[in-house]
Amino acid sequence: MSAADRARDALSRLVDASATERVLISTAALVLSVLIGAVLVLVAGRMTTCTAGEAVYYFGMGFCYDPVVVFDRLFLGALGDPLSGGWSPNGQFAVTLRETTLLIFTGLSVALAFRAGIFNIGTQGQMVVGALATALGVLWASSLVSGALGTVVLIPFGLLVGAVFGGLYGAVPGLLKAYADANEVITTIMLNFIATGVALYLVSGIFKDPESAANQTVPLPEFAQFPALLFGGRQDFSIVALAFGLLAVGVLYYVLEHTAFGYDVRTSGVQPEAAEYGGVDAKRTVVASLTLSGALGGIAGAMYVMMVLGTFQTGIPSYGFDGITVSILAGNNPLGVGIAALLFGVLKSGTTVVQFATDVPPQLVGVLRGLIILFVAMPEFFRLLARRVPGAGSRREAVATDGGIAGDRGGETDE
Amino acid sequence: MSDAPADPADVDTAAEGDDEGSFFERYTTRAIVAGVTVASVVALLLAGLLFPESLAGTLADVLTSRNTLAATLRLSVPIAFAALGGIFAEKSGVINIGLEGLLIISAFSAIYVADLTGGVWVGFAGGVLASTLLAALFAVVTIGFRADQIIAGLAVWLIALGLAPFASQVIYGSPNTPTVATTNSITVPVLADLPFFGALFSASPSVYMLFAAVFGSWYVFERTAFGRWIRASGENPKALDTAGVSVTRVRYAAVLISGVLAGMGGAALSLDLGQFTGNGPTMVNGKGFIAIVAYLFGNYNPIGAFLSTMLFAGLDAMQTVLQLQGIGIPRQLIRITPFVVVIVVLALVGRTRLPEAAGEHYETED
Repeated sequence: MSAADRARDALSRLVDASATERVLISTAALVLSVLIGAVLVLVAGRMTTCTAGEAVYYFGMGFCYDPVVVFDRLFLGALGDPLSGGWSPNGQFAVTLRETTLLIFTGLSVALAFRAGIFNIGTQGQMVVGALATALGVLWASSLVSGALGTVVLIPFGLLVGAVFGGLYGAVPGLLKAYADANEVITTIMLNFIATGVALYLVSGIFKDPESAANQTVPLPEFAQFPALLFGGRQDFSIVALAFGLLAVGVLYYVLEHTAFGYDVRTSGVQPEAAEYGGVDAKRTVVASLTLSGALGGIAGAMYVMMVLGTFQTGIPSYGFDGITVSILAGNNPLGVGIAALLFGVLKSGTTVVQFATDVPPQLVGVLRGLIILFVAMPEFFRLLARRVPGAGSRREAVATDGGIAGDRGGETDE
Repeated sequence: MSDAPADPADVDTAAEGDDEGSFFERYTTRAIVAGVTVASVVALLLAGLLFPESLAGTLADVLTSRNTLAATLRLSVPIAFAALGGIFAEKSGVINIGLEGLLIISAFSAIYVADLTGGVWVGFAGGVLASTLLAALFAVVTIGFRADQIIAGLAVWLIALGLAPFASQVIYGSPNTPTVATTNSITVPVLADLPFFGALFSASPSVYMLFAAVFGSWYVFERTAFGRWIRASGENPKALDTAGVSVTRVRYAAVLISGVLAGMGGAALSLDLGQFTGNGPTMVNGKGFIAIVAYLFGNYNPIGAFLSTMLFAGLDAMQTVLQLQGIGIPRQLIRITPFVVVIVVLALVGRTRLPEAAGEHYETED
């Protein structure tokens, strides 16, 4: 088997692994990351200082942070404490859904590129560009219309502006990859730094809100923001935005699975040579999928401005990097992105609750983000684990659909 | 790393000499970039000489200032160490895109250990150890468990990006650590008084360590059997296997070395300043990714990688000086020049020929 064959084999193994196996691996990765997170919280609890009264005791040792409380807060807190009776539609659950909405878009952005075989690490930068463009575009347009009509006109307009500018910014690494062979991992990361730098320059200078001390644009009028229906008024969440997100999940799924463009994208991702042989214009597909991916990132930015902040402010949270986790957790499947975004939304929203209750720093979610990616990336680890468990082993082998792997495994020795 | 029996040494000859046409193309692109750089520097110096009051005059002053060279060397240290580490890993067939994470973790750990023990060099060792451990995790995941190298590398970056500020927050109550003592610079008498080049002889110990590491890496690749094994492991693992050398072991060793080198860079970065700052992209701020471009541009040659690092770091040094002089270009825009240059260089160099088997898992055949 030549090197190229082997690479193709490895790739198809990832793509063809059955859905059940994918779900099992993602769940196992999530559980394992959370467990390691618990250990980390315990270790951190040894390294910080607290009074003897605050400490909790496990295995005869005192810890400043209690992982049980941490995970109780992380999950139940993120859902707004449904078990203790105080649930309110304006509570923490609205924050969870707000995070979920944003993560759906960044997750879809990363997933689309991944399906085309492209690593778009630049969703963060595309989101920054889309957010800034939306904040400025809608601000300009809001002087032309007002009232309920304004909301109906301005919100689609804002999303469009975000998508266009995010898409253009996504097209840059696409063109560089297609026509100059520049590796997209590096260019997208560099473009993140550039987007942040240029945004800081613009917002601290010509577009700065003269009445604010922060580096931000002039706030949008209330009617140019997503309306809070049913719940989430105090938490900057709008169910309309979530509905948009779910719509996007459905549309992207349809586009990928049932259209000619989706077919081009998927075949380019799995077997670029075969796709080209079959008449797919590889360069065009690369540019198109990165542009579309950037547009989704730009919409995330538009959502952030029109739903959460009501203005553009420097220091946009790292939804773009979280999108990588969401996409990988979802196996790059749009429908999976919806579920993974909710799970990761719980983690993100929960860490702020944890910080309130226990002083555990919110950076914990950053560590979990990396751990989840690491574990999902090593399916072999879980296959090995599953084979060690009596009874489970034979079934796992049968699930492998990649052919030949069972034989290969016999020859695999790690020293 | 010593001179071992030479019989498996010639396995890589088959890998060389293929696609000479594209090598020539790459060579010319590089030559053009290098030529343009030199030409523009010369033009700038001439213009500065003729019109000392103009912008060119200011730039020429900055370019010929010994402080610029000193700053360039200082800024080169983390990037060049990480680039050397990247060369070891990638030549062996493992693309280590997590260099940024290794720099972050070692920068924080070095300060933490130095703060704990009071010893700067103990802190340095602590930083290197932390980076090596994270690299070992990366090695197990990619070599042992056949994870996708790019995704695992991204995970290494994101884990460090979360872990270092998390630890700092837990221990010090802020993403930024308090300051610790720094090392004194080493000054060579007489030579340090030279104009401009004097900066080479009055620098922090980490700069001299970098010189040693660049030469050492070059020596390993060009003159030792281990260096040839690493190349063979990336170009033609099967041949290396046939010659009786374990590909897995060579790759583990190469990734661990990349951890040690990146760790030296990260530790030097924070210990030179005496502090770790963990806000946003942390103090490492993309240096690990710039390192990747530096070694690609340097064509996997340690000396080439060092020279291209000097190019990026030189730009960075100039932008710092220019910010202080306030020449009319806004600070925030000058700050992004290194990132723009990285993209331009990458676009010009285009496809670099990766080692044949880079990114692929190698399975021992019984």
